[in-house]
Amino acid sequence: MEVRDSTYRVWFDESSSTVFFEGSLRLGTADYRPISALLDAVLAKNLPVLTLHMLELNFLNSSGINTLYKFAISLRKQGSTLVTVRGTTVIAWQTKSLANLKKFLPTITIEMLGEE
Amino acid sequence: MDERIGDYPDLDQLGAEVSVELFPESFTVRWDLCGATADFFASYFSQMPSCGADDDATQAEVENAISYVLNEAVENAVKFQAGGTITVKVGMYEDSLVFVVSNWILGTAADVLRPRLHELVEGDAHELLLARVEANAANPEAGVSGLGFLTMITDYDARLGWRILAPDGAGDRVHFHTMARLPIFRT
Repeated sequence: MEVRDSTYRVWFDESSSTVFFEGSLRLGTADYRPISALLDAVLAKNLPVLTLHMLELNFLNSSGINTLYKFAISLRKQGSTLVTVRGTTVIAWQTKSLANLKKFLPTITIEMLGEE
Repeated sequence: MDERIGDYPDLDQLGAEVSVELFPESFTVRWDLCGATADFFASYFSQMPSCGADDDATQAEVENAISYVLNEAVENAVKFQAGGTITVKVGMYEDSLVFVVSNWILGTAADVLRPRLHELVEGDAHELLLARVEANAANPEAGVSGLGFLTMITDYDARLGWRILAPDGAGDRVHFHTMARLPIFRT
């Protein structure tokens, strides 16, 4: 499963049970629907574990944050998947916005890699 | 009508500023130009010594903050514009970097926005963010996320204000100004 255009790529890797986010996501609200559909398909798999890999996602606008937080709520309601989000303090928005995921999905593990 | 909501100091005190004026009716503003416009100002101002990072922040963080906040403001202006121009101004005021994004919107759109702006000013932004996302999750067909202004406040400590003007001859439109202030200017 993959959604992409010239500025971003989002895909699910079955073997590692990981959704990768890459590039810059500054789409209009309606333009996030293909990405939401991909995330819904991942949700439907009822995976025991899932990683959200954000290390190469340089920008995410508020509509994208909405998409991500809503996915966290869906995972909370499903209740069966242990989720880890992997981000980096090198990309400033991730330090600002990823922590909020805990408010929507209290069981999520947030791993922030630093600048080494 | 000359209405101010939230933290909107007198523009006459802004002084020197850098500005860009877009003419969407003559030259289409593609969606990705919102980000390009924001990135221009972010690159410009984050590298000015007087605008540099706080003790706790790096230049990259300052650049990201400018880019995020301005992108959201310009996206809003493009999304809701009802003809006329879109003006983006960035300058300094007291201890802040100030963004003013101005565009024309329908008076009916202002009527929809007005109570939400008051809610932002009078409410707890963190609580509003939680409630808004939960509401969005319950209504997947919502056309707008409503998180732009909220995340400016919760994630970037932006102080926001709006001015709504209805000059003579504007018909059913009003001139809508969004001001965002980021506390990153160091003297």
